[in-house]
Amino acid sequence: MRLFAVGLSHRTAPVELRESVDFSRKGLDAALAELASRGIGRELVVLSTCNRAEIYAVGETDETADHIGRFFSEYHDIPHAEVHQHLYVHRGPDVARHLFRVAAGLDSLVVGEPQILGQVKAAYAVASDGQFTAALTNRLFHSAFSVGKRVRSETGLGEGAVSVSYAAIALAKKIFGDLKDRAVLILGAGEMAKLTGIHLQSQHVKQITIASRTFQTAQNLAERLDGVAVAWDRVDAALTAADIIVTATGASEPVLTRSRVEEAMRSRRHRPLFIIDIAVPRDVDAAVGSLDQVFLYNIDDLRTIVQENLARRGAELARAEAIVDQEVARYTAWMQSREIVPTVVALRQRFEAIRRAELQRLEPKLANLPPEARSRIDEVTRLIVEKLLLTPTEQLKSVSDEAMIVAYADALNRLFSLAQDKDRDAVAPEEESEVSS
Amino acid sequence: MHLVPLLLYAAAAAAYVAHFAWRDPRVGRLATALMAGGVFAHTFLIGMQTVQAGHAPLVGTSAAISAFVWLLGLSYLYIELSSDERSMGAFVAILMVALDVIPALNPGVAPRPPVLQSPLFTVHVMSLLFAYASFALACVLGVTYALLFKEIKAKQLGFFYTRLPSLASLDLMNSRAITVGWAFLTLGVVVGGIWAWQVKGSPDPRAQAMSLADPKILVALVSWGLYSFALFARKAIGWSGRRAAYLSGIAFAVVLLNFVLVGYFLTASHNF
Repeated sequence: MRLFAVGLSHRTAPVELRESVDFSRKGLDAALAELASRGIGRELVVLSTCNRAEIYAVGETDETADHIGRFFSEYHDIPHAEVHQHLYVHRGPDVARHLFRVAAGLDSLVVGEPQILGQVKAAYAVASDGQFTAALTNRLFHSAFSVGKRVRSETGLGEGAVSVSYAAIALAKKIFGDLKDRAVLILGAGEMAKLTGIHLQSQHVKQITIASRTFQTAQNLAERLDGVAVAWDRVDAALTAADIIVTATGASEPVLTRSRVEEAMRSRRHRPLFIIDIAVPRDVDAAVGSLDQVFLYNIDDLRTIVQENLARRGAELARAEAIVDQEVARYTAWMQSREIVPTVVALRQRFEAIRRAELQRLEPKLANLPPEARSRIDEVTRLIVEKLLLTPTEQLKSVSDEAMIVAYADALNRLFSLAQDKDRDAVAPEEESEVSS
Repeated sequence: MHLVPLLLYAAAAAAYVAHFAWRDPRVGRLATALMAGGVFAHTFLIGMQTVQAGHAPLVGTSAAISAFVWLLGLSYLYIELSSDERSMGAFVAILMVALDVIPALNPGVAPRPPVLQSPLFTVHVMSLLFAYASFALACVLGVTYALLFKEIKAKQLGFFYTRLPSLASLDLMNSRAITVGWAFLTLGVVVGGIWAWQVKGSPDPRAQAMSLADPKILVALVSWGLYSFALFARKAIGWSGRRAAYLSGIAFAVVLLNFVLVGYFLTASHNF
């Protein structure tokens, strides 16, 4: 049994191809069912986002990878030659490394973006609900979740907004906490105003008020944002009510002067005010920023923050990769110990069976011994078996090389004819039914 | 034994600072565990002193500071566990270590003079110490507010920006701490007044020195005035945010001055 991951991503495939192999369109469960019905892989997880499509599987032979590759083209009706050159294949421990990097956002288009972890979780949930997962994939994906979590909490990789709109919202949250009870005023109704308004709306702010020199455009945007439009000459009242002001008008002179904002601050009793000036040329007089309790950020300030955040993310990469390394080592160790364990168990069972059989055979001769002597014989034989097995068991558990494990297991199976026992162990009934049913 | 809480607090402070700087959650949990261990050891120490002396060890500045540090630790742990926010820990733990040095170097319980044999004494001291603990937290919140405010205002988003909760929540917690502290300060001062009036005829010279002219009492009333103003200004004239933060810092400086300096050297009425 071996792990495989076959797929393509923004690193290997153009967007058109990524779109045409999107598994989520027909539903991940449909893809999983189709894979299972073709007998590809014992355990299966399908991950499909706009930047990647990947199939994780546990297979018996190396052909599993080819089968999955073919499945990509056949399932989506694309010539195999077209897909094939864009596919990557990972095997064994490399699967863990790849998935952990994906979950941590290290393989993302925007490094450190947080959505991917949720997408990996969702993909696993679908597979797990459909009973397509078992021991290997369960452990693999749960390890991946903890890698994602660790990278987020122990490094600054996911930190800091990397777009101007998110930078503005992150700042607003740092000032006001939850934005639910906050009122927003947008001056201007152009494209920039609309984009920022949509972002703010997604934060469920209490109210969005829009003012523009032409009332009709303000009203149009207000409808789009579920907000209220006010006339341009009523802006002063709106200034008093707002906690966050976005200015994006096309005016050539500052719309908000120091005295105007100062007046508003007085009537709003100096509650903090966050002004985001995304207009070029600027809509807000720079002197407004020196007012107490007023936080003024213009488009250049926000761009600078984004640049700094991107640079900082780069610096955190090494720490995130170190976490991935640690977890890969841990997962690999677990996988290997798991591979040798059935052999060790079978070996011990074999020895114990021989001991019991011999005692059974001697039973008529031992029958007339006192119970004390009989229990002593039982104990001594047991100890002999224990001692005989002690060193081999320790040696087997310390083997870490995958090929060696297979060789050892093979040798032991032949020498002690364990194969029958081992098969019974490895192909547990529930594992079998999970995929082939 | 009296050094154990101090050592645990110091270790907790180091861990909180490390957690604040590098944000390793394991270090954060370690810090909380050390802080809880320190408070536990401190509880044990105060319990032992109570058994030995036959009364709560609240007599004398040293003992009062020890009880104050203990209450501060308890209040802080309560806030940390209920808000799941560890970033204040670094500041609070450092303050606790700085203050706990005094009782740790001056251990021992002072005998209780007859004039203090009153239940009012315990109410007076405990409510004031609890008020001071709240004010200490308010001060820490104020300091962090000012640091974060400065970063956002100057558009230099860095160290504190990534580590502290939002300005609004710091301000809200500050306001709550001041309100709770003010209520206990008022209670403590009123009970103290009643009790001073009760022991007026006592031959103890300290009882006779109980007057508004005594520095300890005067400064206590000044701090009551400052906190009353802070509450009033927030409600009536919109002194929230940065001004409230500064005010809670200044007022706590007055409290500390009264608690440590005046308590040790200047007062004629409170030198038990």
